[in-house]
Amino acid sequence: MALTQDIIDLLGAGVAHQVGGCTWDGRPSLCRGLAAQLEPDGRLVVILSAESGFEVINAVRDTGRIALNLTLPENYKSISLLGRDAIVSHGGAAFRELVHDRYLKFRAQLDVHGIPPAYTEAWHVRPDDDLMAIRFTPFSARNQTPGPDAGSALALTTR
Amino acid sequence: MNRRMSDDLTLFGVRRMMEGVIPPTLCTASLDRMPNVSYLSLAEYVDPLHIALSFQFFNRSRENVLATKRAALTLDDPYTGAGVILQLEYLRTETEGPVFERLRAKLMGVASHVGMDQVFHLRGADIYRVLELRRVPGRRELPAAEPRVDLATNSRLLSERMANCGELADLLDTLLDGLGELLRIDNAMLWLFDSAQEVLTLLASRGYEVGGVGAEISTGDGIVGTAVREGVAIRVGHMMNMARYARAARDRADALGFEPVLKSEIPLPGLKEPRSQLAVPLRARGRVLGALLVESKHDQHFGYDDEDALMLLCGQFAVAMSLMQPPEPEPPAREPPKAAVPQHADAAGPTVQLRRYSRDNSVFLDDVYLIRGVAGAILWKLTAEFLRSGRREFSNRELRLAPELRLPDVQDNLEVRLLLLQRRLAEQNSAIQLEKAGRGRIRLNVTRPIVMQNESP
Repeated sequence: MALTQDIIDLLGAGVAHQVGGCTWDGRPSLCRGLAAQLEPDGRLVVILSAESGFEVINAVRDTGRIALNLTLPENYKSISLLGRDAIVSHGGAAFRELVHDRYLKFRAQLDVHGIPPAYTEAWHVRPDDDLMAIRFTPFSARNQTPGPDAGSALALTTR
Repeated sequence: MNRRMSDDLTLFGVRRMMEGVIPPTLCTASLDRMPNVSYLSLAEYVDPLHIALSFQFFNRSRENVLATKRAALTLDDPYTGAGVILQLEYLRTETEGPVFERLRAKLMGVASHVGMDQVFHLRGADIYRVLELRRVPGRRELPAAEPRVDLATNSRLLSERMANCGELADLLDTLLDGLGELLRIDNAMLWLFDSAQEVLTLLASRGYEVGGVGAEISTGDGIVGTAVREGVAIRVGHMMNMARYARAARDRADALGFEPVLKSEIPLPGLKEPRSQLAVPLRARGRVLGALLVESKHDQHFGYDDEDALMLLCGQFAVAMSLMQPPEPEPPAREPPKAAVPQHADAAGPTVQLRRYSRDNSVFLDDVYLIRGVAGAILWKLTAEFLRSGRREFSNRELRLAPELRLPDVQDNLEVRLLLLQRRLAEQNSAIQLEKAGRGRIRLNVTRPIVMQNESP
């Protein structure tokens, strides 16, 4: 399955990223992500902090299952992308530019809500060697915009 | 399962992260361990080991929680950027009671804030046991904002001032003035609960263009009505559309069979666009006697610590109010009958008409609504006696024993109603005024000739 253009656009719109996992023994976990983008092979890569997201990283290594939530603060539009073939690797400096770009766009979104840049920085400014990459093929997308349809399936196009 | 809390963290200590500026985020998983991440409207501190989450929709999160009983929740500090993650075990869903009502009232505030009040509806308060609580590592945290005031010290100071009050009027003014001076709470209203009429009557306010003494709302109206009905403090930290909230609360009150809402005869005070509100019940001797409502033009102006402080101060106020009886008289030092005294010997100017509707004792002076209920009955009785005998001074005792007043069996009621009546007359600058005339006595001052007209019902 491949992402629709709407979803691809959303990735670069200044969204908040939340990454969820669950170990085989049933322990859920989540953390903030720093950036996400579509890879040339159709997989998604999401970048997160090794220190902040250690538990999620361990859960994803355990099961390969991942949920990436993207929410745009300006209109609460929210979707989740699910994968079950997730692979964790070190991200490092190669993703510095992407992380910085996403950070600036997210900061601009929160600025409108009165949340100062220093606050956003508390979440986002991480050293290169702390950046981890999780790649997965989205097999399902869910609408997570608050409301009765939260959790319902969204269409993904076939490549 | 063992409960693990990081050394320096307690659920109580992270309550402010549940304020809702940054929505809490929930992760659940299906039985085959596929995670689901979603934002929640509200999280609410219950006690040191339990938390309540809003249950609004039958969605994927709900399905997962019911299947696995497990969830992870992250909360972000709205001031420092710090974060915590909680491991939770689902216990039950509550659909009534104080936790549910607190969540419901807050949700209405949040819902109207995001323009989704037609969609948002609280189905229940999901109660979770907190299995673990730890800090999210690796964040560059900001220093915490300076507190508005030294809440503990200044609350103590205000409490001491209240403890020195010997009379209800002093007590009331001390509390409301102290809120502004010591706690920097500049907009406040104190409402009395009349359980017989199922209404709240405004006794006093501070910080508004109109005083509104004597204004009434029905039980269940707004967060103040809900605070009285449920006997719990309710705090909303976001901009809220009070009209929408009141309408929703009204529907609930109607469903419960309350009296139809009273069209207020007296303009209600209040901020046009409050961003934060906190309603605290006045509880004493197992009863709710009324509520204090405070407001601000700023988001998140009132925190949990304000709620705690005002709960204590309002509890002290309520107990003092309920016990504050003037010493019982003084054998009736009645004025000698003033036979043949002209009814309006010292009254001048055009005659005013005092009209009463006996159904609810609502009293009008020249078609201007004054007051109703017990306070209205008192005014009617005093004026009638004055016109009949010329007597101006009355003892509280004779009023308390007067069968026609039908005072509720709450001891504080007479003193409070007298104060309400006195302030309403003063605010209206009416031709009839009431003042204290020594211990346990009141004096009626009439400056215009009066005729009385009783309407039935």
